[in-house]
Amino acid sequence: MIKISNLLKRIIIIIIIVIFIFSFSSSYDSLNIDNLAFVVALGIDKSTENKFNITFEFIVPKPSSEGASETEPVLESVECSSITNGINIMNSYLGKKINLSHCKLIIFSEELAKEGISDEIYSLINEVQVRPSANIVVSKCNTKYYIENSVPSLENLVPKYYDIFPNTSDYTGYTCNATIGDFFNSLICNYCDPYAILGGVSSSETNSQAETLDDASIKSTETPITGGRLAQNIGLAVFNNDKLVGELNAIETVCFLSIKKEVHSFLISIVDPQDSNSKIDIYITPNSTHKIDVDFVNGTPYIKIKLDFSGKIYSMSKDSHYLDADVLDAISSSCNSYLESQFSSYLYKTSTIFESDINELGLYALSEFITTTEFDNYDWLTNYKNSTFDVDINTTMDSGFLLTQT
Amino acid sequence: MRKIEKSKKIGTISAVMLTLSIVVSYVTSSLPRAFINETKSATLLNIIYITAIVLFIILLFCRLIQKFPGLDLLDISYFLGGNLLKNIVGSCFIFYFVVSSGLMLRNFCEGLVVVYYPLTSYIFVILMFIVAIAFVNKLGFNSTLNTAAIVFPLVLISIILLFCGNLGNFSFRRIYPVLGDGFYNTFILGLKNIGAFGGICYLYFIPSMLKDPSKLKKIAVISVISTGLFIFLCVATLLFMFSFFINADEIMPLFSAARYIEFGSFFQRFESVFLLIWIISFGCYLSISCKFSTHIFNKMFKLSDMKPILNIFLILIFAISIFPKNYASSNFFEIHIYRYLRIAIGFILGMTILILANLKKKKVGDKN
Amino acid sequence: MKIKNIINNVFKYTPNKTYNFTLPDIPRDSDNNSYNNEKSNKSQKIYTSISVNLDYIKTKYNLLINSDIISREFILNAKGKQYKALLLHIDGMVDSQILNDFVLEPLMMRNKNNLFDGEQNRVISEAITNNITVRKVKKFNLADYIENCLIPQNNIKQTDSFDEIFSGVNAGNCALFVDTLGIGFDIDIKGFKQRSIDKPENEVVIKGAHEAFVENIRTNTSLLRRFTNNENLVIENLEVGDITKTKCAVCYMQNIANSDLVAEVKYRINNLDIDSLLSVGQLEQLISDNNSLGLPKAISTERPDNAVQHILEGRVVVLVNGSPFALILPAIMIDFLTSPEDRNLKSIFANFLRGIRILAAFFSLLLPGIYVSVTSFHIEILPTELLYSILAARESVPFPIIFEILIMEISFEIIREASLRVPSPIGSTIGIVGGLVVGQAAVSAGIVSPILIIIVAITALSSFAIPDYSFSFHLRVFRFLFIFLGYIAGFLGIGIGLLVYLSIICDMESFGVSYSLPYSSMENLKNIGILLPPIWKREFRASYLATKKNRKQDDISMHWKFNKG
Repeated sequence: MIKISNLLKRIIIIIIIVIFIFSFSSSYDSLNIDNLAFVVALGIDKSTENKFNITFEFIVPKPSSEGASETEPVLESVECSSITNGINIMNSYLGKKINLSHCKLIIFSEELAKEGISDEIYSLINEVQVRPSANIVVSKCNTKYYIENSVPSLENLVPKYYDIFPNTSDYTGYTCNATIGDFFNSLICNYCDPYAILGGVSSSETNSQAETLDDASIKSTETPITGGRLAQNIGLAVFNNDKLVGELNAIETVCFLSIKKEVHSFLISIVDPQDSNSKIDIYITPNSTHKIDVDFVNGTPYIKIKLDFSGKIYSMSKDSHYLDADVLDAISSSCNSYLESQFSSYLYKTSTIFESDINELGLYALSEFITTTEFDNYDWLTNYKNSTFDVDINTTMDSGFLLTQT
Repeated sequence: MRKIEKSKKIGTISAVMLTLSIVVSYVTSSLPRAFINETKSATLLNIIYITAIVLFIILLFCRLIQKFPGLDLLDISYFLGGNLLKNIVGSCFIFYFVVSSGLMLRNFCEGLVVVYYPLTSYIFVILMFIVAIAFVNKLGFNSTLNTAAIVFPLVLISIILLFCGNLGNFSFRRIYPVLGDGFYNTFILGLKNIGAFGGICYLYFIPSMLKDPSKLKKIAVISVISTGLFIFLCVATLLFMFSFFINADEIMPLFSAARYIEFGSFFQRFESVFLLIWIISFGCYLSISCKFSTHIFNKMFKLSDMKPILNIFLILIFAISIFPKNYASSNFFEIHIYRYLRIAIGFILGMTILILANLKKKKVGDKN
Repeated sequence: MKIKNIINNVFKYTPNKTYNFTLPDIPRDSDNNSYNNEKSNKSQKIYTSISVNLDYIKTKYNLLINSDIISREFILNAKGKQYKALLLHIDGMVDSQILNDFVLEPLMMRNKNNLFDGEQNRVISEAITNNITVRKVKKFNLADYIENCLIPQNNIKQTDSFDEIFSGVNAGNCALFVDTLGIGFDIDIKGFKQRSIDKPENEVVIKGAHEAFVENIRTNTSLLRRFTNNENLVIENLEVGDITKTKCAVCYMQNIANSDLVAEVKYRINNLDIDSLLSVGQLEQLISDNNSLGLPKAISTERPDNAVQHILEGRVVVLVNGSPFALILPAIMIDFLTSPEDRNLKSIFANFLRGIRILAAFFSLLLPGIYVSVTSFHIEILPTELLYSILAARESVPFPIIFEILIMEISFEIIREASLRVPSPIGSTIGIVGGLVVGQAAVSAGIVSPILIIIVAITALSSFAIPDYSFSFHLRVFRFLFIFLGYIAGFLGIGIGLLVYLSIICDMESFGVSYSLPYSSMENLKNIGILLPPIWKREFRASYLATKKNRKQDDISMHWKFNKG
């Protein structure tokens, strides 16, 4: 009799296993690596016929018996009324299930961004597969055109390029590692506004327009670069709530990043105090003693920003005396005034023209309030445009690099 | 036959791990979200405040139970009101343990289904846990405790990793405005959050199992403080990272924080490893609940062997976990009913019985 | 009626029939305070009465239970007189031929030598003065006489302390006590078989003894004796098997090992009702606790130094006649990830190696399962570049991943099993042929992907890194379970599987010792060692063994470096 119960036990175990295999097999089939098409970039465009025109970029790996596998990007576009629908249509077209878990770049076109993209962002964040760390780009042109032109000039793998290029912001400050997670975070909070990388494709002819520009005031499509890859990611797209309101050029992005403390070093060119016709290049590293204070004067914010930088001089000419304290002081003060003017113009541009607090300065105002309700009633985001800024920049010049004196 | 009775005794550290592993399951499912939603930016203040209160309560508990060395709440209620009261108290706690683990299981599995098993019914995910626990229940009481003791350090590492990995995303100024929704909301309404210390309930039944009952006070205090620290760490991670928890919800808040972790460009997206650890820890929690319920049941009816009944409680947990129609209703249950149940049974019932029993003891002592 | 029976069988309460044995926390007669209180005891002088000497030896050597200590009582002839005498030696360590021919024979047999009463030579000088004869008489000294005249041995020593005698006996000498003499003779007739002892083949260490157990139990016990060199080592003989009556020896230190543990081991071995016992492997299965995972619960070693190390830790070693292995009881999980070499290394390296081995065990058990679950459920965890190389590699593979990995795992197991069967000159090549050629051919034929070959190879290598053979067996088998769980439900399946696996391990006991120590209940951490401490820090014996003497070295073991106090 004991044997019967043992047999029964075994039968029960087998039944349970079979149940599990069947119940999970559908998930298994839908998530199996063989049945998935991995999107590396997703472009969302405004369409004239339907609501959206969505472009997917896939990578088709080509097996090679030895060494690195060669890859080839493939683009597919679809017109649809929502992102999910677009994915659905594309699934049936491709014969594979689209998976967004390796999507590195989400690109919105300028047109769409100007109309507001909060719904799209919300539904993208609601999707499990979308990584919060995916970068968000606002493209000045058609997204498909942008993706087509985003072919890395030095690497073989497109995703690697997508992974790396936002990181250049650490040492150039000309672009920004803006992620969709941050975007969502700022969209939803009541003291900050979202931002995105500004992307664009330069026209293939040489830029006659760009030559007149200052090196620092470049931005995507307005750059002096000519190269194999036409897509560029320089500058920042500024949103007010969920609508695109403006663009920042390279030096303004530097200002933005230094206030956010997200840049390790950057380069500026200032007028040489000894010779007003020439310029010298200075390598600036921010010190950690940033100080931002928000006070309220007659109900309007009064924002004090104190930034410390130390600099090293790249430019060398025949009679440089970079060990001389007077020379260094002169350069420092020239540098200070240059940076101060840049920072104030950046701050007033974002606050009065864009009315957008992308720097999360509202965070520093929080401590002035005791409860959340008080802060909500004050309505920081509408009051931000009336802010007064007091920028105090202190740059210490150290020296040159290898050469100290010529 | 030479037989030496197997010792069922729990050591000091195991006991602390036990209470902590219960908190882990609360924390990984939905607790931090409830915290932040209710007290907004004052959450950390609220946690410190609540930890202090619970510490006070637990010191009172230790003081009260000192008069009954080696006895647990059931023995004490027997002393106070005979078999009837003992059975009522026992049933209340069994009900509480079973309901809490059932609901928790449901919430956790809903999260799992959303994240990884989109085409599988949540019932099968729950069933998977239930089958595993059925296996675990065949083993002794100590095996679960030991497993919890192995798994908890891993969980702790995962939480610390979560905190450190996200340091770059933190902005510490999010603790302002200091008082969140105001004094009333933080300190009076915030008292509801005391339910987070639900693991403390298990302390009522620990005294009779301890190797060294005199260490109860130490165990209790360490558990409360470390539970507080643990919750503080988790909530701080969420609060400093996201501004949106105040305005929006996510299904598994800690999981969504894990999605942000990046160490260089290679170590990205390893939130599923976190989930793996939390799944094991959650299984421990279920098994502990099951075994405690059976322990109480056996004590109520003076049964000697706990194994035959274990699976009945498991089936009860299963039934409760599939009872809510959808996630919304289980969430409603949790936020509006179950939390108060937790406070009513966990803190009020237990402490009342202890206080009354102490009074009775004094009276009896006076008569003598 | 049958249905009723079935229902009855399923739902009827059956009382818990498991056999439980737990070591008490504190042994009954423990001595935990001092490190070494034997030193303070003064060395015992040898008594003049032979029966008192015999009693003393009996208590010291536990003659009643110790099987290999032999005391031979006989009558010694000297100068025509007869004395009671006692010969003490350890079987297996002395050369019996020499003992018989050159010790016992001259002493026992009546011959010229011992019949000669020596009266003629007694008088050295004689002077007669005043009719009084003054004779200078040589005083008769029995001890010198025996040494000088009766024992034809080159190395013989007289001593009056038992300690010296015992250390000689432990080293393979033979001790002779004679009635009326307050001294003993330490006669060197060492004769253990050394040529037949081979190098260990499976547990090779670099810094350590190169001796291995052999088939003969007596040789093995003598090896243990030689390494221990202490009279507290008890070697008890037990017989197992109705037909074979195989000799088993239970060895332990009587002043260290927990007596409950020793009693339990003897109880289990004595209560085996089997026809035959031919190897240690059989005995291990017969006496270890219930075991659903197939994990080994006793260390089997072929190294006497390793066995002695464990005996000195307070464990019990069982030898079986005919098996060149010793069984060390009890054993916990971490013991199977510890190599005998660890103790010879500096603790940093030992711990590094231990970490590597734990990692290897982890890989060996879980790596294929994790690969299956990652590629089926958690693709996002892969770095994008790796994802594309996996995709590229899988492009031409026709099978689903689960099938692919099962093909490779099973064929690797076949190769491994095959290389054991094939005669040894070919055996080593078949591994290379199987591993490289088949793998390479499978990849180029597009049956499996190269990534998978890497996974399977790492898994196989990891399982070879496990020092214990039977433990790596366990990992090899349960790997398939985790592959299956990973296939069913990804990390959920693996998590659930790990939960059950860990719980079973935590539930297991080996001779009353929790198997998952010290990683589970983190108490009593005295020298159990999540990490191996440096050698001067190994002050305590593992507390889970509940030994009679907790300390094994002084607070400050290196007195030359630090003064105590």
